[in-house]
Amino acid sequence: MATLLQQLISGLVLGGQIALIALGYTMVYGIIQLINFAHGEVFMVSVFGALATYNWFIPESWQQTWPLALLAMLVGAVVVAVVLAVLMERFAYRPLRNAPRLAPLITALGVSVMLKEIVRLSFPGATAAVHVPRAFWDEPITFKVPGGTVVIGSTGLLVIVVAIVGAVLLQVYISRSRMGRAMRATAQDPDTARLMGVDPNRTIVLTFVIGGALAGVAGVLYGVHLNNVDTDAGFLTGIFAFTAAVLGGVGSIKGAVIGGFIIGVIKTVGGQYLPGGTAYDLVWIFVLLILVLVFRPQGLFGEPERVRA
Amino acid sequence: MNIPPGWAWLGQALLIIAGIILVIWLCRLGERRGTAYLADRPAYLRPLALLGGVLALLSALLPWVTFELNDGVYPELSTLQFFDEPWGVTGFRGFILLLGLASIVLAFVPIPAKRRVYRAIGLALFGITLFNTGFIIYYGGGIGAATAADGVVAFGGLVGLVAAAVVWFAHRSGPLEQVPLWNSKVSRAVAYPVLLLAFIALLLVVAMLLRAGTTADGDSRAYAGPIFLSLLFFISGVILALNGLGFTKWLTDVSDKHRLWSVVVLLGCSIALPFTEAGTDYWMTIAVNIGVYAATAIGLNIVVGLAGLLDLGYIAFLGIGAYVAANFSEASAAAFGIKLPFLAAAIVAAVVAGVFGAIVGSPTLRVRGDYLAIVTLAFGEIFRKAAQNDIGGLTGGANAIPDIPPISAFGQSFSAPLEIGGVKLPSGVLYYILVVVLVAVVMLVFANLKDSRIGRAWIAIREDEDAARAMGIKTGQAKILAFLIGATLAGLAGAVFAHKTSTVAYDSFQFIESVTLLAAVILGGMASIPGAVLGSALLIVLPEKLRDFQDLRLFLFGLALVLIMRFRPQGLIPDRHRRAELADEGVVEAPSQEHNVADSTPGGGAAVTR
Repeated sequence: MATLLQQLISGLVLGGQIALIALGYTMVYGIIQLINFAHGEVFMVSVFGALATYNWFIPESWQQTWPLALLAMLVGAVVVAVVLAVLMERFAYRPLRNAPRLAPLITALGVSVMLKEIVRLSFPGATAAVHVPRAFWDEPITFKVPGGTVVIGSTGLLVIVVAIVGAVLLQVYISRSRMGRAMRATAQDPDTARLMGVDPNRTIVLTFVIGGALAGVAGVLYGVHLNNVDTDAGFLTGIFAFTAAVLGGVGSIKGAVIGGFIIGVIKTVGGQYLPGGTAYDLVWIFVLLILVLVFRPQGLFGEPERVRA
Repeated sequence: MNIPPGWAWLGQALLIIAGIILVIWLCRLGERRGTAYLADRPAYLRPLALLGGVLALLSALLPWVTFELNDGVYPELSTLQFFDEPWGVTGFRGFILLLGLASIVLAFVPIPAKRRVYRAIGLALFGITLFNTGFIIYYGGGIGAATAADGVVAFGGLVGLVAAAVVWFAHRSGPLEQVPLWNSKVSRAVAYPVLLLAFIALLLVVAMLLRAGTTADGDSRAYAGPIFLSLLFFISGVILALNGLGFTKWLTDVSDKHRLWSVVVLLGCSIALPFTEAGTDYWMTIAVNIGVYAATAIGLNIVVGLAGLLDLGYIAFLGIGAYVAANFSEASAAAFGIKLPFLAAAIVAAVVAGVFGAIVGSPTLRVRGDYLAIVTLAFGEIFRKAAQNDIGGLTGGANAIPDIPPISAFGQSFSAPLEIGGVKLPSGVLYYILVVVLVAVVMLVFANLKDSRIGRAWIAIREDEDAARAMGIKTGQAKILAFLIGATLAGLAGAVFAHKTSTVAYDSFQFIESVTLLAAVILGGMASIPGAVLGSALLIVLPEKLRDFQDLRLFLFGLALVLIMRFRPQGLIPDRHRRAELADEGVVEAPSQEHNVADSTPGGGAAVTR
């Protein structure tokens, strides 16, 4: 019982990180039908952005006090991620908006490889895993349950809370605000949206900005939670996040978050109880992805699939 | 490594980025202004061509570096004297000299499609000078190395860049001409020898390219990268010029009409490669790798190029084929104690891979487009993970399956050197011939399928699945068949791969390998057979030649993917149908208007749809 609960909690923590990244995937895919493969790398770069901020751009006294350090890292990571996402949209994807569907996808793969290599080559020590400092109060919280105790790290709790709060805020923004309505309009029909006075380019950039910012937040949380990062972090996390987005239903905010938590739980609980153990935890996630795509392509909360070219 | 202070690091990075953006911006500005000015001024063609030619001659004769560098990576690299021989007319400077002379001579000779030829010369000059100048600046430690320092003047590279720009602008003095159409109805007496000569020339060029910049056993000589790339740019320029003159079109038409003869000659020429200067152990290994990749890429081409189904986990089929062959090879780590003869093992490998192909393809019944890409990626990762964990004791896990015995036939081991009538052939030559046969078989399968009923069904599905279904095509069957056949071909290639490399390990089948295969298909041109071979060859030979830039390999790979998709999504040798389709979609206009594509897209705020 305690083991199950413990794995469940670890799964939720992992799921929170995945959910934050999945939001970026789901929004970008919802609006321009592009699987932004490079989104996982944006997340990875933002971890390094946070690290660079901590190491080089804040005074030493700040490094000792976690609220200041965390805030500075957050700013650094979000700025890096947003700038990157906007540049990517502007120089890699926008020129291909009218191209055949394969072109942007392959461009995204190329951008992903490039970003990873740029960080590996330019960041000192990034050829191996790099240590990220603890920039949060690190008291583990212990619960007593029948059969033992369950521990959740304070950073883990932060991840879960931020993921849920972030998703709720995003949902409100998209359903209530003017720009949110513009986004939904562009997603439905860019041409008509333009006739109604919506600037699709601006809307799409905004989507990338929001996705990038969330990836930045996820990056900081990942760093302070796991306390190390390497350049491979982006690819797998990105695939998980995409899986989460698909599982929840692409375009659905609620779906992305719930999908993220489900993926996280499957990875940890499945790694514990399913045949094969942790060596096969990835496999179960991918099996789930395939099953969902085959039997419910619109995902758990998505609208039924329109005909896609 | 000492950690640089953050601000200095950031400043440096920003400076470099700003510099690159400034240069690109200036180039584009110059290109637009120059083009706008030159349009409809055909009289400027000759003076510009002459000026460019003279400048190119000058740049070939000027020194290119100012000083000797004494702390290079390799001892042989410790000076850049290769570049500063005065009056040097060998190597890349020889090419520049030739291009300059061509530019001057052609200004006075009446030839058709002159602007196309000047475009080719300009691009070749630009490639050669840009790469070599960049190399000098990189290794020389700054701009000073290529301009003037310590009283030594060396403006060769910069003059060459100007020459390239001038020659290139010569072709902007009006619209590009139609490619002249030559009469391809020639008698056999003309066609046969011409084709023979053309393919022999191709063989020699390939051998020359393979050997450029390396010693016999494949060790990089100093400057392997610049030597190889300069030759590559020069040859590309020549081919582009011949293309502009309509010669290559004529040649393909003639070889289409005499297909059997072309195939025989091409096969003969391929098998003759070991007898050229590229006939060393090392290059045989590389050639076998190219062949294995090319066969796999052609298989992938069925799935992606013909049927239009994006597969991001394709390397798994090569892996399955390799593991099956390895397990039936009597290697000590093999799961089965039996040893099948190679042909039988290869067939089993192909069948097993085909079955898995059908399994991976079965979601296509319900999943489309990008989602399918993700499903295939998921299958690819499942395969890699399963192989890593030694599933069922079949893959050896992290220990791999080592010591797979080489193929042997008639008492001759394929990996041993061979001697025929006193002529000593490099070891691995039998593998090479096997791979040539493999690629030929795969090509045959592909070519026949493409023009068959099922091939046309695939193309119809690629263009519009719903319409295809409405026309009575059983789309589900056709799509699964595409996966099945593609995977079978990859499985065959995998069997050869296992024996040749003698070790099959799970980390040969990572995601990046699938992307590389896809890149080979796209770089060469989707649905195009020669394209897939060229793409595979480039993607394997380039890293071998550019070992000095090993660190930058993946970065350049990613950049290349982005740039190809941006500027030449139809690939280097586009398939004819495919070319027409892409042109229709308004993405890529006829090759003559490439600049318009570049101009019309970014910033124009033009159409924004999906």
